[in-house]
Amino acid sequence: MFKGKYYNGRTSKGMPAFITLEHTYISIAWQTGEESGTELWYLPDIHTSEFNDDTTVLEYGSFPRQSIAVFEQGFREALDQKYNGAKFLKSKYNSFQKTGVKGLLVGGLTLLALAIVLFVWGIPALAEKAAAHFPLAYERAMGEQLHEQMMLGKSIDSAKTKALQDYLAALDVKSDFPITVTVVKNDMVNAFAVPGGFIVVHDAILDKMEHHEELAGLLGHEIGHVQMRHSTKALTRSLSYYMLLSILFGDVSGIAAIIVDNASTLNKLEYSRSAESDSDKAGLELLKQNNLNPKGMVWLMERLNSSAPEFMKFISTHPNTNDRIKEIESQIKQTKYKMQPNPELEAAWAALKSVK
Amino acid sequence: MQDTSTEPVQGTTLTKPTLAFKGQGSELFSIQIVNIALMLVTLGLYYPWAKAKNLQYIYRKTELADSPFTFHGTGKEMFIGFIKGLGIMAVLVSIFMYGFMHGDNSVKFLCFAAYFLGLLALIPLAIHGMLRYRTSRTSWRGIHMGYRGTLGSMYKVYLTGFFLSVITLGFYGFWFTTNLRKEILSNTRFGNAKFRFIADGSDLLLVHIKGYFLTLLTLGIYSFWYMKDLINFNINNTLIEQDGKYSRLDSSLTGGKYFKLAVGNLLIMVFTLGLGYAWVVTRTMAAIVNNCEIIGDFNPDALAQTEAEYKNATFEDMADMLDIGII
Repeated sequence: MFKGKYYNGRTSKGMPAFITLEHTYISIAWQTGEESGTELWYLPDIHTSEFNDDTTVLEYGSFPRQSIAVFEQGFREALDQKYNGAKFLKSKYNSFQKTGVKGLLVGGLTLLALAIVLFVWGIPALAEKAAAHFPLAYERAMGEQLHEQMMLGKSIDSAKTKALQDYLAALDVKSDFPITVTVVKNDMVNAFAVPGGFIVVHDAILDKMEHHEELAGLLGHEIGHVQMRHSTKALTRSLSYYMLLSILFGDVSGIAAIIVDNASTLNKLEYSRSAESDSDKAGLELLKQNNLNPKGMVWLMERLNSSAPEFMKFISTHPNTNDRIKEIESQIKQTKYKMQPNPELEAAWAALKSVK
Repeated sequence: MQDTSTEPVQGTTLTKPTLAFKGQGSELFSIQIVNIALMLVTLGLYYPWAKAKNLQYIYRKTELADSPFTFHGTGKEMFIGFIKGLGIMAVLVSIFMYGFMHGDNSVKFLCFAAYFLGLLALIPLAIHGMLRYRTSRTSWRGIHMGYRGTLGSMYKVYLTGFFLSVITLGFYGFWFTTNLRKEILSNTRFGNAKFRFIADGSDLLLVHIKGYFLTLLTLGIYSFWYMKDLINFNINNTLIEQDGKYSRLDSSLTGGKYFKLAVGNLLIMVFTLGLGYAWVVTRTMAAIVNNCEIIGDFNPDALAQTEAEYKNATFEDMADMLDIGII
């Protein structure tokens, strides 16, 4: 028999009670002032009781629930022994707690490892799958809006844009999307691709270039990003990260906001190392297709590399420029083709360079 | 600090209405590990069950007069709410996205307007629903809490406050906050006891003015006292009415204690890479609850059940999604 308090669910007054554990029920004999009574709690109607400490609390029945609170006296153990396996004593949380410090440590570290795996491999892979199934028309429509958003507050150099479009028109390009190029006035040596075929080139990078093959390489590289949908994938990836985090921490507001947010930071989105090297290959491919000097790609890299520190941003989003140059050079060695002068491109290049 | 020593539950003497939080970071951590593992396995669908467990633990470890609170909400109830909430949000976000992708500016404007108006209409509904659900699922010694406010008056308070805040460039926000709190607390029941919130926007404004300028003057050091003042403002202005007699909540949280809490929490989060979040929760709960006491004639043994049974969880998670930190 155990001493405890009984609450009848109608008032908050605790009534002193004697509690006995019977085979199929718990018997509670309570007394307060002149009133007294006995309650029989049948096991199936006792509610699951978790997270107890020195005081064990049990609740019974439908609304309003009756309850008892028993302080120590070995009540907990007696319950476990008497009703071993009963539904109201079962808890996966309690049983995990019993594993102690070791269990917590192992559990915590496993979780951390799992989270890292999910973040580093799981989400990018999933995002890539999702992005690949995104219909082309939607991607173009989304890109159009993103592009428009990004161009707000930027000064477009329309003369250079026109000249660059002429150059692009003279190039033999293969792409699922119509390619639209825009030149914006910006001192940062940079260029980036927006989903759906929009390529933005800063005028600083055009000013620095000495050979038109560099420009062809750059366009090839960015068209590669577009064609392989790297920015769509990056966008999907950051959205997935956001959704996962918000689910873990319970805040799902502003999913729409993140898409708009991303519009402004698209030029800072990080592509993976392999995405960059794939786009480098696409740049080389474009040069080959147009029978241009593949060295254009190397010159482009060297130019990017030498123009630090203004370029720090570019380098940090396009990592390991030296490694990339090495890889490009080994690619060049493997593919041999005959270079041909292309007067049309050279004329377009000269026209572009002459725009002030 | 106040005396939180536990007396055995036995004895017939009148119990003192002491508030205490007994939760431990390690226990909550073990619960969160199971929660996160199950959420990962179920791609997040376990979230409502996880949340229910979390709340059940926090409530079970929060004690009034040595008896714990109970959270009766279940994962299943909240899952239904979660799905409905997700559905409503999906519709709104789709409208937003449609507008975003649409080239026509008037269509864009209409879609964005629909999205924001939809959100605006949803928030009072979510607050109301969450309060109804959360209070109905909270009990202590079997006595349930309850929310008696009507949806209409919640809309009135919320929309009035919102528009006046917009018109006054946010200045009305202080009154908006306190009026919302008044509306919520004056409609909250704890058995036959009622709550009241007695501060006005001008009081809150004073707290902010004082906090703002002293924080500037002390190069930020006062910010801990500022935060403490805000917490205490909410606690100290809450009255409990029981059988015609009023008691008051009183917080003895000091700037020093808050400083210890905030800096400690920050260090825990940084050095455990976020794994120590459970300790952050229990430390925060302990700092707030253990420093709070009820002053007056509140008799914890004399509460009577006044609530009817209530079932509906739609907006519990809605409020969560909209990130409305009300209680």
